Amino acid sequence: MIADVAALLLAFAVSVSAQAVPAKAPAQSFEQVSRAAQQARDENRDDDAIRLFQQGLKLKPDWNEGLWYLGTLLYEKEHFSQARDLLRQFVALNPKFGPGWAVLGMSEYQAREYARALEHLQRSLSLGLGDRKQLADSVFYHVALLLTRFEQFHDSLELLWQMRGAGQAEALLAEPAGLAALGYALLPQEIPAPRRELARLAGAGTFALLDQRRAEAEKLFSKMVEQYPQEPGVHYQYGTLLLNDRSQEGIRELEKELQISPSHIPVRLRLAEYYLTRSQPEKAQPYLDEIIKLEPKNASGHMLMGEMLASKGDGAGAIRELELAREQAPQRLRIRWDLLRAYTAAGRREDAKRERTEIEKLSQQQSGKP
Amino acid sequence: MIWVLSSLFFFFPAGAPQAPPPQRNFEQIARQAEEARAADRLPDAIRLYRGGVKLRPSWSQGWWGLGSIYYEEDRFPEALEAFMRFIATSKKDVAPAYAFLGLCEYETHDYVHASEHFGIWVRKGLPGNTQLIDVASFHWALLLTREGQFVQALFLLEEKAKRYGVSPLLAEAMGLASLRMKNLPEDYPLERREMVWLAGEASAYGSLHDFDRAHEFAGRLVAHYGQEPNVHYLNGTIYSFEQKTEEAAEEFRQELRVSPNHAPAMIQLAFIDLQDSRLEEAMSMAKQAVALEAKDPLAHYALGRVLLATEHFQEGANELEIAKELAPASAKVRFQLARAYRRLGRKADAERESAVFEALKDKIEVLATPEEKLKGTPEEKGKAK
Repeated sequence: MIADVAALLLAFAVSVSAQAVPAKAPAQSFEQVSRAAQQARDENRDDDAIRLFQQGLKLKPDWNEGLWYLGTLLYEKEHFSQARDLLRQFVALNPKFGPGWAVLGMSEYQAREYARALEHLQRSLSLGLGDRKQLADSVFYHVALLLTRFEQFHDSLELLWQMRGAGQAEALLAEPAGLAALGYALLPQEIPAPRRELARLAGAGTFALLDQRRAEAEKLFSKMVEQYPQEPGVHYQYGTLLLNDRSQEGIRELEKELQISPSHIPVRLRLAEYYLTRSQPEKAQPYLDEIIKLEPKNASGHMLMGEMLASKGDGAGAIRELELAREQAPQRLRIRWDLLRAYTAAGRREDAKRERTEIEKLSQQQSGKP
Repeated sequence: MIWVLSSLFFFFPAGAPQAPPPQRNFEQIARQAEEARAADRLPDAIRLYRGGVKLRPSWSQGWWGLGSIYYEEDRFPEALEAFMRFIATSKKDVAPAYAFLGLCEYETHDYVHASEHFGIWVRKGLPGNTQLIDVASFHWALLLTREGQFVQALFLLEEKAKRYGVSPLLAEAMGLASLRMKNLPEDYPLERREMVWLAGEASAYGSLHDFDRAHEFAGRLVAHYGQEPNVHYLNGTIYSFEQKTEEAAEEFRQELRVSPNHAPAMIQLAFIDLQDSRLEEAMSMAKQAVALEAKDPLAHYALGRVLLATEHFQEGANELEIAKELAPASAKVRFQLARAYRRLGRKADAERESAVFEALKDKIEVLATPEEKLKGTPEEKGKAK
């Protein structure tokens, strides 16, 4: 089958470089072909290089350099499916080489195999891309887009925020950030024309807010609310901005969001947290009940429910909820701290000690992150 | 957005030179291949399996080993070749290999053969572990959608939603089937993504009877794409699940304003009219649906039921017999046919259809071919005689 694929690729190469290649070449050894391929690559004669790498791979299907260089050349020529197939062979031979997974993931992205693309791009990041900044930027960007398409909006936004902090141009990141902030599971190229401006405003506003440019964020969000008052996610953005400074207006906006998006979890989390920080657990409770009904495994919902019960003096109930939260999000420090306090208050010294150990371990791990 | 990769050329990983393998006999190679596989040394395992099948092309276990490693590595063209050789050489049970063939052919865009091989796999009773059944039946559903068999596709996908909950991949597949788009997730126009996403979420939550969320997404869908075909039909279907027949009927009528020849909407309206004893309207809708979709068993079933309700028993039986021919494993068709025969005084026929109904009614939710479902029914036993 490798020979069949190589033959197919060879046919393509012949067609693109027919003018440059003599009609009939004498049979060559693998060494001759590979040398000629490398030379063509060094001299930027891409079409010749493609043809020669294909020829070499026909002679030696497991030719590592051939698979890599041909895969990347075909990617650059936008022959993504062909690049993908070669790179799959390449990463099978070089499973620890991060850039291999990166280019494979990007080929899969272009071939619209999004689930595989996300998995492979994330694997490339965990293996490391060394000092290849341009490639790393590209991988982070695509991972952020795919996280949004797979409805992992919070993770996507966090990544985009990190990219922005690392100096990436906001113009490139605004639409993806807007999609993630609004909770629209779309790629930028999938945004319908009538809502492209909405995504841009939401993204620019989100970055302004994160950068502490509050006045600018308010200007952008209020424009967004004015232009798109019925779109889901819009009042949530604006309400979140207003909640701390003009809380009544913020609550009104968040309530509007719930009318448009009745199953919106983040709105309920915001409101519950707002009331908890103001020592009004009775106002937080209905939102928390709804969150757990809508999404029984929501870690934040159980965490806030635990905090709410603790504030009302229900230690056993708080521990029950916080343990459920820990089950869903064992890495979240806030849950661990809550549990430590709850165990301590209940006199469960061993459990409290174990939580403290976990907190120290997690703190070390998390401070080591870029 | 495509990044320039030229700089990568200078970062190629240095690979260790490979020494030529020493000469060995087949048994040694076979044993070493299995050991390499077990130790997760996959490149070695591939090399050894290849060596083994070169020495002994009838070594089916070698082809299976090779096929499954290639499959794990997403190397589908090579996996396909190996699974084909496995089927050709194995004397044991090869049924699960048909699912792998279908999957590899799906990935290499050979959809006709993929469908054919999934069909064989299903006729053999969907053998394999849970993971294989899940992956293969999901891809089979995608192909059914591509072939325009939307109801069958949704049947498979809904079962997954009930078992595993809503996921982005499942919702996308359900969106395509619900909107009756003959596409795969990787080949529909990008500008339709939002519509597919909203339809998929609505459909998936609807199938789980989480109607609040279903309506939330369906509402967005109707607001932005209310003039697109199948959107109101989907919304009507969700209301039907909820048993809100008035709202459902309004949505089906709305669908007919957008798509005047929408046979499924006509069929659903016929059932609603029949339920509300508006027999004339029901008859008109069912007849139009049959005229538009002569090969749709549901259209004939609807017309058959309306004819029975208007005491046209012979004509009703005729329609139901067509429905039975088109969907032999449909329990509800058999039930109505038994009723028709009873009214026509055909006692033996009525009893036979009742017995088949009894045998089929518990298999409604079972994933199997009509032949499988009919196994052991009085009808099948009768044919055997």
